[in-house]
Amino acid sequence: MEMVLLLVLLPVVAALLLFLLPSERLAYTVTGTAAGVLSAAAFLLYMTETPLLFGLSRSAELAIVAADVILLLYFVYQGVRFNAKAVTALAVVQLLLYGWAEGMLPASEAAPVIVDELSRFMFLIINVVGGVIALYAVKYMEYEAAEPVRKRLFVAYLLIFLSVMNAIVIVNSLMLFFFLFEMTTLASYLLIGFRGDALSRENALRALWMNQVGGVAILLAALTAIGGFGTVMVSELLRADGGALLLAVALLGMAALVKGASIPFDGWLIGAMVAPTPVSAMLHSATMVKIAPFLILKLSPALAATAPGGMIALIGASVFVAASYLALSRTLLKEILGYSTIALLGLMMSLAAIGSEESRMLAMALMLFHALAKALLFLTAGVIEKLHHAKEITDMKGLVHRAPRSVFYMMFGFVSLTLPPFGLFMGKLFAITSVAALLREHPWLLAVLLGIVVGSVLLVLLYFKVASALLARPSDIVRGDGEEMPFGFSLPLLLLGVLTVTAAAGFITIQSDGLLALFALPLLFVALLPFLVRAMERFDRTQPYHCGEKEGFDAALVYFELSASARRLLYGGFGALFVLVALSGALS
Amino acid sequence: MSWVWIVLAPLLGGLLYGGERVLRARMQRRMGPPLLQPFYDMFKLMDKRTLIVHAAHALLGAAHFFLLWLTVAALFLGWNLLYIIFLHLFATMTLVWAGYSVKSPYSHVGSNRELLALVAYEPVLILVAVGFYLGTGSFEITAILRDQSLLLQMPLLFVALLMIIPVKVKKSPFDVVEAHQEIVGGVEVEYSGLFYEFLYMARFMEYLFVYSFVYLFGGGSHFLGASLAVGAFFVVNLVDNATARVRPAEMVGILYKIALPLALINIIGMLL
Repeated sequence: MEMVLLLVLLPVVAALLLFLLPSERLAYTVTGTAAGVLSAAAFLLYMTETPLLFGLSRSAELAIVAADVILLLYFVYQGVRFNAKAVTALAVVQLLLYGWAEGMLPASEAAPVIVDELSRFMFLIINVVGGVIALYAVKYMEYEAAEPVRKRLFVAYLLIFLSVMNAIVIVNSLMLFFFLFEMTTLASYLLIGFRGDALSRENALRALWMNQVGGVAILLAALTAIGGFGTVMVSELLRADGGALLLAVALLGMAALVKGASIPFDGWLIGAMVAPTPVSAMLHSATMVKIAPFLILKLSPALAATAPGGMIALIGASVFVAASYLALSRTLLKEILGYSTIALLGLMMSLAAIGSEESRMLAMALMLFHALAKALLFLTAGVIEKLHHAKEITDMKGLVHRAPRSVFYMMFGFVSLTLPPFGLFMGKLFAITSVAALLREHPWLLAVLLGIVVGSVLLVLLYFKVASALLARPSDIVRGDGEEMPFGFSLPLLLLGVLTVTAAAGFITIQSDGLLALFALPLLFVALLPFLVRAMERFDRTQPYHCGEKEGFDAALVYFELSASARRLLYGGFGALFVLVALSGALS
Repeated sequence: MSWVWIVLAPLLGGLLYGGERVLRARMQRRMGPPLLQPFYDMFKLMDKRTLIVHAAHALLGAAHFFLLWLTVAALFLGWNLLYIIFLHLFATMTLVWAGYSVKSPYSHVGSNRELLALVAYEPVLILVAVGFYLGTGSFEITAILRDQSLLLQMPLLFVALLMIIPVKVKKSPFDVVEAHQEIVGGVEVEYSGLFYEFLYMARFMEYLFVYSFVYLFGGGSHFLGASLAVGAFFVVNLVDNATARVRPAEMVGILYKIALPLALINIIGMLL
């Protein structure tokens, strides 16, 4: 119990300290300690078995209601101030719905806060990965052109984000969930708009209104639950049967789709790229978008084998393919990584919505491995941006020659997302097995299976396309200099790398011992590498064949772009599917 | 017993490749090279001066061969079909990686095409594995080979598999990855001597890999499996002689518009 409180409160305290202490070394101490303590607490909690229940005092409840109203009024204010009509309108709608729901709020005996297995698992992802990112952010902000106070404020925001995330994974009441959902929206709004220029402002407002759509869906779900079952507690809702249950669950599923930036809501997550890189790392790996698969996982007992569950599984699998394809026309590294996040979130939601024991477990495993890999990739992208001044992959051609260490981490991230024996790959592999096993019962799952298969190869194409730009390296005749990387950058990257390998080894051991042999192979190769490279010295070197051309060559990148009409069709189609989720919930 | 076959796999693949060259020559009514030509080539390549661009490039080429050998070994040992497909994916990626690691236009275009080819054939390959799973209830090859032949249950999957074989063994109309006349062999162009020999032998392994897949359709009947593999071998070479190369995008288009739907229809049929 104290441990859970620690997880929620410590980041806030650390954030306050950071804001008040005007020294860089102290900033490191505070962030490092916070990250360490949070990770340790999350790990210890993960080891415990019993679920924890909490009540909230009346005054705490009132305080939260007040905070919520202030938050929504702040949204209205921001909407009016920046003349964003969608934001204002949605905030007003939210206020009205919120007031209505609070007015009808029935008394309930269920605990408003429940720490179950899923929450403990989420703690692990949020605090370990989030802590590493916060640590990295301290160094990253040194390179940012901003006042010292704002730099510290930035890291403080990140920590508060962790606190909100730690809270959102344990709440049981939909009203509390709505409040925290809006808090994450606020956090992302502030972080995306951090640089304060026109583009940041515009993208922050877009993130705001899109996420507010999700908030509205949650409020509608809460109203449906109150109307149908007289409760806002998810645990009671999941025990209920028939009636409006599916509508409420479908509405929550829609909120998840919005938060997970599923097409057509991908704009907000891609727009978030204007913010400093640790924000992207945070949003994409440990926080924010992970709410989407988390929420579906939480609801999966009610979603399994129902029409809305099927719809979400189909949407997820289609997004997996479509987002992977959309990424193929991009050149900005962070955008490419962003679309691949959207794609993989689709896969996770799809598996979670199928709701069998095995597919839920796989969705959780994918969440963990995706968080590790994406954090690693975004942090490396930040290093490349700050140390080597490249954001577009076209500027990164032959980067391996100048920055071998950064490229190594980048490639490690790609490989851990696509190839055996790493966790994400294994997750996809087991997903195929587990979906195939369900095919006889539910033939429609063939569509999901096809989505997994095609999406996976498209992602391979995508990552290795980026790799093609990075890797092109001149002959050994030309020597590179190696790369200097500050400790503040290399430590978080190393930590994430080590975590990826150990987690993958653990995952494989759980699944099947025989597969562990697969690990031996790359390890053997790496161990033998110095010997092998020395053995290569007896061969003569040559220059690549250029067919007599004198022109220099760096890399041949491929692009695949949808035509404007196909694009409209795609977005329209996904929009329709999104609405259909609610309809399928209402009609069944 | 299977260990002997695994050790002999490069020899077996070499004979297969040599046999193919003889067969194609006969189809074109020419004399063609002797059956053992791949081995003569090997001795010649070993004798040449080996030039490499950089160590990583050469090592990845060798790794490609050894991983493919491992894949074939896993096939002969009767492992899980999905693991084998993904081991093969791993092997393919080392080659793609190697192609990207040098500043050579042909090598890069070759790797790009290798990836496109992967996008084209991988889904079909996995769906074939899923078909076997639906038929026998297991992804294990040992289980598939114990069961009766699934050919009658999965005829369209068989056709889909036949359609992707030319991609893997680099035969017309889908030999875009290598395309000697256009991109000088793609990834192969930067290899010479010993390391080219690795790539050369990797091709033998690809032959064993795809034709072993065909063999699986025979199920418990080894005669049927062998006849199917020989028949597929013949048909692929016949088509190779009778068609011209398509463009890379067309290859993906054809396989997605014909092979993939065929595979899907078959699986839907098996489900209903």
